[in-house]
Amino acid sequence: MNGEIVQNLKLLSPELVLVFFLVVLFTVDSIWEQTRKNFVPLAVVFAACLLGTVATCWVSKTAPTVFFSGLVANDNFSAFFRYVFLFSCAAGMYLAFGSKELEKQNRMEFALLIVCVTFGMSLMAISTHLLMLYIGIETVSILSFVMAGFKSEDLRASEASFKYFIFGAFASALMLYGFSLLYGLTGSLQYGEIAQYVQANLGNMPYLLPLSLILVYSGLAYKISAFPMHFWTPDVYEGAPTPVASFFSVAPKAAGLAAILRFFLDILSYDAASGSWKAIGGEQLVSVVAVLSAITMTVGNLSAIGQNSVKRMLAYSSIAHVGYMLMGILTLDTFGLGAILFYIIAYCAMNFGAFWVVSIVADLKGSDRLDAFRGLGWSMPILGVTMVIFLASLAGIPMFSGFIGKMLIFGAIVKTPGLLWLAVLGVLNSVVSLYYYAKILRELWLEGREPGTASELSIYHGVALVGLAIPTVVLGLWFAPVIHFVERSIATIL
Amino acid sequence: MSFLDWATGLHGYLFVGTILATLGIIAVVYRRNSIGVLLGIELLLNAASINFIAFSKFRTAAIDGQIFALFIIIIAAAEAAVALAIILRLYRLRETIDAGEANLMRN
Repeated sequence: MNGEIVQNLKLLSPELVLVFFLVVLFTVDSIWEQTRKNFVPLAVVFAACLLGTVATCWVSKTAPTVFFSGLVANDNFSAFFRYVFLFSCAAGMYLAFGSKELEKQNRMEFALLIVCVTFGMSLMAISTHLLMLYIGIETVSILSFVMAGFKSEDLRASEASFKYFIFGAFASALMLYGFSLLYGLTGSLQYGEIAQYVQANLGNMPYLLPLSLILVYSGLAYKISAFPMHFWTPDVYEGAPTPVASFFSVAPKAAGLAAILRFFLDILSYDAASGSWKAIGGEQLVSVVAVLSAITMTVGNLSAIGQNSVKRMLAYSSIAHVGYMLMGILTLDTFGLGAILFYIIAYCAMNFGAFWVVSIVADLKGSDRLDAFRGLGWSMPILGVTMVIFLASLAGIPMFSGFIGKMLIFGAIVKTPGLLWLAVLGVLNSVVSLYYYAKILRELWLEGREPGTASELSIYHGVALVGLAIPTVVLGLWFAPVIHFVERSIATIL
Repeated sequence: MSFLDWATGLHGYLFVGTILATLGIIAVVYRRNSIGVLLGIELLLNAASINFIAFSKFRTAAIDGQIFALFIIIIAAAEAAVALAIILRLYRLRETIDAGEANLMRN
């Protein structure tokens, strides 16, 4: 028994590393007060992410298992998302550390929050049990409310955290009610046992099973800001400090997608042989998800067009990107589901980069309006060029990672019978998105210089921008090994 | 089956749970006072707890549903603490806790 616990704890080591560094942060914070203002929080978070990555590498070598009596799973899928979260944690901390929006003496608090959120996201991605999933989601949600309102005297930030809270708490309460119905129906909380019960009793639960799944979806859709739970996104991203918004736009979405993939693929017992959902009426389910993803991307892109605040525009664009990723779920094969993971990698680099530029400009000009970007391409060429790369990639222009991601997803959708319309809609949406991304580029480069705005990009931010632009370009040209990697990651949960 | 049997059986608990959940959703949607919204969310959480405990007792022999209910209580407390802090700060900044007044960012 003892040996088993030790063995299980070893498999949980990436999360334990994060918890250990949480304790370190608390201790350092309470002993040396001066560390709140210097580089220590950044260094500790970096150490946590580095060690966490090493630990993830180490545990991913063991055979896939479900451990702690079915609570959590360790497989390539878990490892993939752990890497993504640790990377976003490090990048988010680095951005927040250099940003003027967060006060210096609050850096330690921010480090604590971001490490703890990363821990929660990790739990979301590895859980195979409803209780574990709920704890993970609430860890992320409750701390996110605090992070959104991090600028304590700012009315917009307070409002953002308030809205985030109202939507978040309501969505997770609905999800919880769905969990309770699911538990009542199947008599178990563990994904595998629920799936067995559902398969054995197909057709005996005509109303309650779909109802509980809709409730669960509404909770998870809030996390990834998919239709119909996307309303909070623009307000929260606009009001929250830019580094926080950039972190929110990447990491919790990846966590939500991980939870959705694991939950629905497990519970609806995806059947690899026939390539269809075995549980509830396959055809209807596919068309429901197709419509949801179509609405999500169209609403996101159409609302982004008229925006004047770039942060708000990127918030709507992030909704649209979730719509593209949801499309991948419909294909139900390694190729299409792997495409989602590829898209997450690409999205992580390019969206972080775009938000990063907005953060720099917001620090410089005190505004994230379109006209704040005027002529900045000429005075800060590195910022201008990397922003071109990020936005071109977000729009899905060839040569960049976003194009490969979209191509993989659309390619998989075209091969799925009856869903050609969705692929066409996706391409049309990309064209629409090109329009509003181009508006930012026009301000950056084509509107001429504004006199008296000589400004330089600090090396601190320059390194980060180039560091994010490199994967965006490289993944667009040299993608075969990455595709292999994501397909291996997704294969473990199919 | 007498009314007492019905009320103390699984269906009685589920009935109460459903009513609580409905009232909670109504409160979240229609209440303009932030505290009222928070209470609505708490009602929803309690409805889920009652469901879990009832299912755990009548549907399965295991106690995992009851453990889940304990976790819900803990998490609801944490959530309420953060929520009240946020509401308090909003009140300090604008002297109202009307949820409809939170409309600074709108297009």
